[in-house]
Amino acid sequence: MSTFDIPIGPQHPALPEPLLLKLEVEGETVVGVDFDVSYMHRGIEKLLETKTYFQGLPLVERICGICNAAHGVCYTLNVEKLYDKEIPLRAQYLRLIIEELSRIHSHLLWLGVAAFEIGFNTMFMYTWRDREHVMDMLESITGNRITTEYSQIGGVRRDISQELAGKLLKTMDIVEERTKYYIKVALTERTIAKRTQGIGYLSTADAKSTCSVGPIVRSSGVKFDVRASDPYTAHDEVPFNVITSDSCDVFGRVVVRAQELLECVNMIRYAIKHLPQGPFRIKLPWKPNAGEALTRVEAPRGELLHYTLSDGNLKPYRYKVRTPTLANLGALRAMLTSKGRYVVNIGDVPITYGSIDPCICCTARVHFIDVTKGRSWIWTLDEIRERSKRGRLLR
Amino acid sequence: MSSEEEIFNELKGVFGEKLIDHKVQKRRVYIRVFNDAYKDVIRYLVNNKGIYHLETITATELKDGIEIMAHLGMDTSISIRTTISKEEPKIPSICDIIVGAEFYEREIHDLLGVTFEGHPNPIRFVLPDDWPEGVHPLKKSFETKHNAPLREGVE
Amino acid sequence: MGIVNWCRKKSPWVTHFCTGSCNACDIEILACLTPRYDIERFGVVLKGSARHSDILLVTGPVTRQVRDRLIRVYEQMPEPKYVVAVGTCATSSGVYRNSYNVYPGVDSVIPVSAYISGCPVKPENILNGLSFLLKKIGENK
Repeated sequence: MSTFDIPIGPQHPALPEPLLLKLEVEGETVVGVDFDVSYMHRGIEKLLETKTYFQGLPLVERICGICNAAHGVCYTLNVEKLYDKEIPLRAQYLRLIIEELSRIHSHLLWLGVAAFEIGFNTMFMYTWRDREHVMDMLESITGNRITTEYSQIGGVRRDISQELAGKLLKTMDIVEERTKYYIKVALTERTIAKRTQGIGYLSTADAKSTCSVGPIVRSSGVKFDVRASDPYTAHDEVPFNVITSDSCDVFGRVVVRAQELLECVNMIRYAIKHLPQGPFRIKLPWKPNAGEALTRVEAPRGELLHYTLSDGNLKPYRYKVRTPTLANLGALRAMLTSKGRYVVNIGDVPITYGSIDPCICCTARVHFIDVTKGRSWIWTLDEIRERSKRGRLLR
Repeated sequence: MSSEEEIFNELKGVFGEKLIDHKVQKRRVYIRVFNDAYKDVIRYLVNNKGIYHLETITATELKDGIEIMAHLGMDTSISIRTTISKEEPKIPSICDIIVGAEFYEREIHDLLGVTFEGHPNPIRFVLPDDWPEGVHPLKKSFETKHNAPLREGVE
Repeated sequence: MGIVNWCRKKSPWVTHFCTGSCNACDIEILACLTPRYDIERFGVVLKGSARHSDILLVTGPVTRQVRDRLIRVYEQMPEPKYVVAVGTCATSSGVYRNSYNVYPGVDSVIPVSAYISGCPVKPENILNGLSFLLKKIGENK
């Protein structure tokens, strides 16, 4: 079967990051998929070798603007392992609070984007309006809405006052009330159920063999959460439940993320109530000891891994970052491939793609290759969405 | 004896002299093996110990070769490392044991030029289409020019 | 000021294009659409296609792979067109400067009419920057 490229460049209104999806189709069903992630390659691992450990923190936080707190915490924990010093417990609790706040903002963002993908604009506006409460708290505590650089090597940048802790608890009450409303909507609204149940199916066996992480693997019944299996900061002291679902589809992912929001709220309340006294930062020398360190953190999208090799100089010899979306690409491929009785329609591609919460999203151009007719063309996710609404997907 | 030491001792019992050295930290085990034992040790961990989660594969260019390290495990991270030569950077792919290794091996192939024998789809992954062949950015010999950003026609 | 220009100033249609950014500026642009900041009260509509828009919002350092797409999108826009470089990465490649895969800012690839700095840009700054640009459009510059 011969194919050829017809590139067109489209925009996707919700969330960006250019990624090329190459789909092989037979009629309206998708039979194969490959990815091209070269649009996002910025050479960060090489850049990190040219900066000192302390200079590397702003760069690492900007690997992903939405999971920036997870990257920051992972980086600082990783570099601190190269020193032989104890980090104050108060700093670990504060890091946990910011990390969970960041998870709340990321999950609310995703709920809005997922609602947008299935045409539910009102829910998009509602969730993003509620997210603003969380952004206000992030700004009050850290000084910035996103890319906060709150976690520093040696502790955190600022302390939290009693008054601010009180405001944070009030914000958590608002978030909890709104999240319960969204869970109710997700479980009772028939359009959501119809558009998400049975779509983007990922069996438990596939989830394990493709080594996927995060809410994807948890919505396929596997109990894997780095906060429970490899605890960091204060996660071994702050209790929480690992939320799983057995439905293995997009609906399961909606429910898992919405319920994780409630867990985050409980963790923040516990952390504030049991916040230990003491310093929030210690001063560490410029040069760490020679050695290596591996740190894993549960970012909103899944397991995030940082590895460093130091030769005792100011700059790292090697710094490796593995983001959760890279681990989930194999799962995405399994979800988008029709197998036996499981059939993937072109119209389901945007919501399935959105359900992995890609930190490489959009300007997503989907490249189709019709294996039976030997033709290829490119549509934007927008076009797929519009066509599927009008029932005009066959070409 | 900690559980990390137990893991190493079990592998030592099975593979004996093929393991060169090891290092143990809290929930971390680093084991250095010979090239020919790399795939066998991983296969043992997957088939006999039920460790199916591959975290990632890291590759570092050292003075005497390129070090490939596969990190496996959900709670304790077991890192199996081996060093291959820079002149002939080849190592068997583990995609037939763990399906999820595909993208990690493609990334290392792009950035450091390592060939994974038996890889199902060894095409370009992270580098742009017009990137010159044979130039691997993560090698120490590749230097980004200070304050000289990409310009037309100049590499 | 002619009537066409008045319409253009009162209801600019905007397209957003990401050239490999970390996404922070992109979600802040999207946050402008939401009820708190509400960019639609200025008549701004976010369109999916460049062929229907007056203003192109570009975020991110331009990576090597995405450069041709950016130029093609710019050429698809009808005249008169304006490009806004949103964020420090679009202005000068920000933290990624000196990387082997990024260009030094959007203005090394396509002409830019306005720069909004910030890392990431706050939504209030985006509104401010856009209103400056609209004022310039109104004065026919």
